[in-house]
Amino acid sequence: MNVCGGHERAITLAGLRSVLPPGIELIPGPGCPVCICPEEEIYQAMQLALHEQITLLAFGDMLRVPVNLPLREIRTLEQAKAAGADIRPIASPTEAVRIAAGLPGRPVVFFAAGFETTIAPVAAMLAEGVPDNLALLLSGRLTWPAVAMLLNSGEAGFDALIAPGHVATVMGPEEWEFLVQEHRLPAAIAGFTPDSLLAAIYSTLRQRLEGRIFLDNCYPEVVRAGGNPAARAVLDRTLDVVDANWRGIGTILASGFALKASLAAHDAGRLYPSYNDPERSRLGQMPAGCDCARVVLGRIYPDGCKLYGATCTPRTPVGPCMVSDEGACRIWWAGGVIASGQRETV
Amino acid sequence: MCLGIPMQVVEIEGFNARCEAKGVYREVSLFMLQGEDVQVGDHVMVHVGYAIQTMTPQEARSSWELFDELLEAEDLTAVPGGEHV
Repeated sequence: MNVCGGHERAITLAGLRSVLPPGIELIPGPGCPVCICPEEEIYQAMQLALHEQITLLAFGDMLRVPVNLPLREIRTLEQAKAAGADIRPIASPTEAVRIAAGLPGRPVVFFAAGFETTIAPVAAMLAEGVPDNLALLLSGRLTWPAVAMLLNSGEAGFDALIAPGHVATVMGPEEWEFLVQEHRLPAAIAGFTPDSLLAAIYSTLRQRLEGRIFLDNCYPEVVRAGGNPAARAVLDRTLDVVDANWRGIGTILASGFALKASLAAHDAGRLYPSYNDPERSRLGQMPAGCDCARVVLGRIYPDGCKLYGATCTPRTPVGPCMVSDEGACRIWWAGGVIASGQRETV
Repeated sequence: MCLGIPMQVVEIEGFNARCEAKGVYREVSLFMLQGEDVQVGDHVMVHVGYAIQTMTPQEARSSWELFDELLEAEDLTAVPGGEHV
């Protein structure tokens, strides 16, 4: 299993599955932060943009994820923007600072979803100091607790893990040692090129065949012992690790980031009321008929969902896995995969 | 969002660096490389506008070559119903 949309993209676009011998399956797992971002948090961001006098910033991927509302209503940040809300896609936390600094007196909310690689830059932005009018709606997650949860569930459905290269660059490879220590699972950290991924796949196979299980580093260019100490320091200084909800999965212990109390003045979760009505239909769930939850968990391949390529395509996405550039469904569809012949993993 | 791009530093002012990759220039924050002695001409791995690690020129070059191959492969994936991303 891989747990990174960047890995899945490289695997699919290079056609690695088609050249591997039978018996080796590459399963896309929970590797897409947009896909597991709680539906109610996207809803909250959208309602803030529609009902508060604010400017909302978000990474571009997030703008087209539909929330569970009737088709006639405003269902995405993109539609809210078209309806007049001030919503701006950004590509870097530095843009959030620049935009907020350029709008003195106007509240700016940065809806930041991402894994460690994205949240460390957000933490760096906070540590460096942000304008008074910039607040964060943070939906940051740690990747390894999701893998630990799958392994502890008793039905993991995979025999080896390709660990995410840039998460390990920031946090250090040591985070993934539990795979070997606690689960005797072959594991290798990979970069984002076919050769690094092939090296990692080969390493895990050899580990299994030789019975010599260890955490291999197939991305030594940037993955070093201890990770990036400055990045980890800014994370520690600005954010707490908390239990967090993953869309389609549920709560995973110690798997999310939250702003420290000292940054309460920049915490949009504290500054604004919740617009989520607990009575709203399908609150927090995946859309009706959508199998994104099982895709995210690696229980089925994208084409195992009956909506894949039928009613759900990148032009008319139903679930988040078909929206995000890191969603397995979108990657498979962009890669021309109509049917894989491998629909279920367990 | 995990796709990092290796870039070369062309100018440094405080924590801000102007970086280049394949003729494209970007402003990059060096805030997370405070412990490193980053100089003009060095290569760094950039993720959402922040340098997350230093790398050697050889490492950067081999990544670029492979990214080029990936992009080429992507150009060839014009499939029925497939949207180019």
